[in-house]
Order: sequence, then structure tokens, then C-alpha cells
Amino acid sequence: MLQSIIQLLVTGVALGFVYALVGVEYTLIWQSSGLLNVAHNMLITTAAYVFAGTFILGLGWPVWLGVLATLVVMFILGYLISAIIFNPLRSMPLTMYSIVGTMIFAKVINEALRLIYGPYTFTINGFMTGVIRLGNVVFAKAYGVIIVVAVVIIVLLQSFLKLTKPGKAIRCVSQNKNAASIMGINVDVSINVSTGLSCVICGIIGILVIPLYTVSLTMSNMIGLKGWAAGIVGGFGYIPGTIVGGLLIGIVESMSVLAIPSTYKDIVAFVLLIVVLLIRPGGIMRHRI
Amino acid sequence: MFFEMEHCDTYYGQIQALYDISIRIEADEIISIIGANGAGKTTLMKCIMGLVPAKKGKVLYLDQEIQALKTHQIVQRGISYVPEGREIFPNMTVLENLEMGAYTLKLSAKEKGKKLEEMYELFPKLKERKGQKAGTLSGGEQQMVAIARGLMLSPKLLMLDEPSLGLAPVIVDEVFDTIVHVNKEANIPVLLVEQNAYMALTVSNRSYVLENGVIVDQGDSKVLLESDSIRTAYLGK
Repeated sequence: MLQSIIQLLVTGVALGFVYALVGVEYTLIWQSSGLLNVAHNMLITTAAYVFAGTFILGLGWPVWLGVLATLVVMFILGYLISAIIFNPLRSMPLTMYSIVGTMIFAKVINEALRLIYGPYTFTINGFMTGVIRLGNVVFAKAYGVIIVVAVVIIVLLQSFLKLTKPGKAIRCVSQNKNAASIMGINVDVSINVSTGLSCVICGIIGILVIPLYTVSLTMSNMIGLKGWAAGIVGGFGYIPGTIVGGLLIGIVESMSVLAIPSTYKDIVAFVLLIVVLLIRPGGIMRHRI
Repeated sequence: MFFEMEHCDTYYGQIQALYDISIRIEADEIISIIGANGAGKTTLMKCIMGLVPAKKGKVLYLDQEIQALKTHQIVQRGISYVPEGREIFPNMTVLENLEMGAYTLKLSAKEKGKKLEEMYELFPKLKERKGQKAGTLSGGEQQMVAIARGLMLSPKLLMLDEPSLGLAPVIVDEVFDTIVHVNKEANIPVLLVEQNAYMALTVSNRSYVLENGVIVDQGDSKVLLESDSIRTAYLGK
């Protein structure tokens, strides 16, 4: 019994970190540009296709090189998306334009991927498979990798935002765009960089979840939605809150199979979302400015 | 000529906010712009900073036209703007706020430290508060952060928008003393926008009077302070 509880906990923490990364990725764009990037799950999917379809299976590159190349591609993609789509949308009179804009953009990516890679689901054989044994507890290697990578990414991102000049510029832009520009910060470029970073995180998520969901056009729909929920449960627009929200959803969801049939597992996140919205609409770690 | 605006028109969408504005600033002056609420004082500053660019006319600064530049490029040329309502970064510490003031400068750690020491000398309160989130400070302290942040750039021209807004009278005096001090000691010309016309006319060399987006009067501040029309309209005497 204890063993299976620990196993469920590890699974929950791993999935929780996936949701947390999704939350972090869209929070970065929300904070810097004030846009809701509805296309974020398609960016995660894009990364999985580019990594698995092009670099690993297509060109036969080693994993490390494939990861590196995917992340570079994602950064450039993000930078361009921001420069060509987000920055012009940002200055439109209604936020509705930008939401519809990113929605249509998601559709475009979806069809482009279908056109390039075909409609079939595929995966990389032997990628992050196997198990890790800790005493009596056995869990999938993929979960271990997810937890380690997520922690590293979160620490790196926080240090970037707190300690480096471009990171501080991103924080200024998120707090007050006019004030940031009169500090001499190029606000448009700063938003391009944060969107690029957001897409790099999308890329990492996309690669990490390949062993869990295989590569398909709908692979990230569920984690995309639960990532939104993570942000709202933890405290919208606040990165530490998002991480707490993600972990909470992951753990509760995973543990829920002890009490309810596992078919209903996917509704746990959304029940939690509704409960939090009713009791504490600002999220668990409500962020006051 | 250090700084000059020539026949500038500015619009918010379709609505014209400034009409044919011409002002000049010499290298050692304090210039004030006075006028009622909504006269266009803040718009004039935003026009200079490229936040609301001029549609017509020229802005000349050190013999270069800057009206077509982006805000961050204007800051890089050494014009520092302390906006109305302070606009500090509330979630950053006082120290981080000050550091952001020098964002465009490539300072070594030593030079930065020296610059910060100068600011703490000017505003000793900020030294006590340097680790505190700027959003938690009082209004007067936030204004000090805003001015110090503007000075971190080592500006060639300092523009202050309503520095006395919402401050207690004692602190208003302190802020204006600092402005005069900066102008005299550091030789930084100052463009000052103020609703508190008496204060503005007292500390400045020359002034412009703005009404509904038009400059209606200008001249030596001491002369304006004595003029009947100014006294009735802005000084309530």
C-alpha cells in the first residue's frame, strides 16, 4: 500500500511539474505582453514534432543535439511570432483581437503540422523508457527525468529574471511598460525575448512528454488545459503561484485514483479549478501588487 | 542651442492636444511649464520623450532632430524623464529601481556603486530603505526613488513631471530644494512641469504658460510672478 502511494506521489509530482511548466510558459507571455497565448499547446506540439519527426527520426541526430536544435528553433520561432504577430496585436484597441489572433494562429500551426508530418501518431522507440528503482519503489524513468529537468529550468529562469540585465528588463516591462521605456528599455525587443523564452519552455515540455503521450496533433491538449488551471489555482500571472498550483493539481489528480475510478482522473483538475474559483478567486498564492 | 521644440503639434488619435508648441532650454536653466489640469503639460513631456510623438514640427536636441526617435533611443541620448505619478517598479526593491535608471549605461560595479552613493547622499532615506520593495514606500519616498532613478542616468537634461503631486508641504520644499541643488551642483538643465505655479515660478529661471494646448505666455519667471494675469489665474491673488 505504502509503495503504491509513493509511486502515485512520484507520478503526481512529475505531472505536476509538467503543468507547472505549462503555467510558467504562458505566464511569461501574459506578464510581458498582457496577451493570453491560446496557441501555447500547439507550440508544445510543434516542438515534439520538430524534435521527433525532423531531428531524431528524420535526420537521425543524437538526442542531445536534437534537444539543442529544437530549443534553438523554438527560440527563433517565438521571437518571430512575437515580432510579427504579438507586438502588432498588443497595440490593438481590444484584447479580443489578440485572443482571436492567437486562436487562429494555433489553427494555422495545427494544419501546417498535419501537412508536413502527416496525420499519423508516432513515437521515438526507447526514448526515456525504462524504470528507476529506489528501494522497493519502482517508477518510470521519464517521470524522474521530468522532475529533474523541471526543477533545473525553474531555477535557471528565476535566476535569469532576478540577476541578469535582460531578465530585469523583462520584469520592468511586466510591471510598467511606459516606465520601462523611459529607463531606455526597448519594450518590443524585451517582449520578443520573453516570448522566445516561453517557446523554449514549450519546447522542453514537448520533448519531455513524448514518452507519456506519443507525438500527435492532440498530444498537448490536456496538459495545455491543465496548465491553465494550474495558473488559476495557484494565482494567475504569478510564477511561484503557478508552480504551486501545478504541483497541487498533479498530486491531487494522481492520488485521486485511491478514492475514485481512474476513468474520472481527468476531471479532478477542473473540479479543483472550480472549487478554488468559488472559495478563493485570486488563487492559493494570491499576489498583491 | 541646447534644446528646442519648434512648432510641434501632437494628437491623441483624432484629437489634437498640442498646438504649435515652441520652447527652448539653455544649458544651465531651470524651465517651468505651468498651466491648469488638462492644459497639455504632461503631453508636452510625453511628446519630447516620443511616447506621444509630434505629428508636425521639430524637436532639436544638441543640434540633432529627435522627434522621430523611439523612447529608448531618446533615453540613450541622455534625456531623463521622471513621470507624473512616479511610475516606479512596485515589485522591485529600491536598489533595483535605482539600478534600472542606469539601464542604458555600461557601468562597472565600482562606477555603479559610486553613483548609488551619490543618490543616497542626496536622499539619505533611500539608503535605509534600499532592500525594501518600492511599492511599500510612502508617497514622498516613492517620489525620491523616481527622482533618484532619473538621476542615475547622469542625464544631460532632466525632465520632471509634477514632482510635488500628492506630497506633504514639508516634503514639497525638500523636493524643490533637491531640484535646485541638482541644477546648480551637477549643472543639469531641468524642464519642470508643475501645477503648483508658485513653487514652479519661484525655482525656475524662465517659464511658459500653457492653456488648452497653446502657449499663451512666456518669459522670466520673476516677471511672470508679478504679472496680474498670472496672479489671478494661477496664484489666486
